[in-house]
Amino acid sequence: MSGEEEENAAELKIGDEFLKAKCLMNCEVALILERKYEQLQQMSEDPMNQVSQVFEKSLQYVKRFSRYKNPDAVRQVREILSRYQLAEFELCVLGNLCPETVEEAIAMVPSLKTKGRVHDDEAIEKMLNDLSLIKKFE
Amino acid sequence: MFFHIVLERNMQLHPRHFGRNLRENLVSKLMKDVEGTCSGRHGFVVAITGIENVGKGLIRDGTGFVTFPVKYQCVVFRPFKGEILEAVVTMVNKMGFFAEAGPVQIFVSNHLIPDDMEFQSGDIPNYTTSDGSVKIQKDTEVRLKIIGTRVDATEIFCIGTIKDDFLGVINDPAAV
Repeated sequence: MSGEEEENAAELKIGDEFLKAKCLMNCEVALILERKYEQLQQMSEDPMNQVSQVFEKSLQYVKRFSRYKNPDAVRQVREILSRYQLAEFELCVLGNLCPETVEEAIAMVPSLKTKGRVHDDEAIEKMLNDLSLIKKFE
Repeated sequence: MFFHIVLERNMQLHPRHFGRNLRENLVSKLMKDVEGTCSGRHGFVVAITGIENVGKGLIRDGTGFVTFPVKYQCVVFRPFKGEILEAVVTMVNKMGFFAEAGPVQIFVSNHLIPDDMEFQSGDIPNYTTSDGSVKIQKDTEVRLKIIGTRVDATEIFCIGTIKDDFLGVINDPAAV
C-alpha cells in the first residue's frame, strides 16, 4: 500500500483497500457482535472467557455509542444516507456522529465539500433532517 | 472506524485434525489465531464473520503438516489520522488524558485541550472550564479527532485533539 504516510481521513485518504471495503457504523457492529456473542453463549456457559479483549472492548464501545438500536432503523439509516452519493467512510462517520447542523456535518466530514462534489448546504440539510426523523420515530 | 473486509491467511494444520471435522478444526483454529490480533495495516481483528473459501492444502515436506490458504470475512477496527470519533475517558493526569474507542487507546495532551480548561488534581483528577460548566474526568464521553497514529507490532496507539470546532465533551441529551 503506497502513501501510508499521507493518510488523512479528512480528505478521504484511507488507502485503496479500505476505501473500497465496506464500512460499518457502530450500530451495525453492535448487531453483528451481539449476535456472535449469543451464539457463543449457546455453546458455552462462560462466553466472556471465550472472547478476546478486543472483542469485549469493541462490544462495550459500540453498545455505548450506537445511535440507533433497532435493526430496522439501522437499515433505514444506511438506505437514506446511501442516496446522497457518499463514500462508505463518509456515510459511516455521519451515521455514527449524527451531526445536527450543516456546519457541524462539514466539520465532521470535510470531504463533503471538496473537489466540486454536488453537496450544497441544502442537500446536506435535507440529509440531516432525514436522519433525525429516523431517530425520532425509532 | 469499523470495516468489514476479506483477509487471507495460510493456516498450518496438524495431521491429527484431518478427517470429517477438518473444516471445523480449521475454522476454530483460525478464530483462535486471528481474533484479537492487531496489525498496522488492517488494524484490530474484532470478529470473524464468515469463511469465503478454503483453498487446496499443500503438504509440507518432512513434517506432514498441511498448509491451507483460507479467505475469511471479518470485522476490523482501524483508526485513521484525521478521523473524528467518540471515546470514553479512562485516565486523567496533568499531562493530558487517555481515552478508549473500542480496542484503541488515544492520548490527548494538555496542549490539545482547549486553553480555558484547567487541570484540577484531587480524588478525581479532571479538566474543568473556569465557569465549571464543562468537566472531563474518568468515564466522560468525548468526541475527538485523531491527529497521529503509532503502529506497534501488536498495538495501534493514537494521539488525539479536542481543540477544534464541534469537538470535546458530548453533552447532547438526545444522544443518550
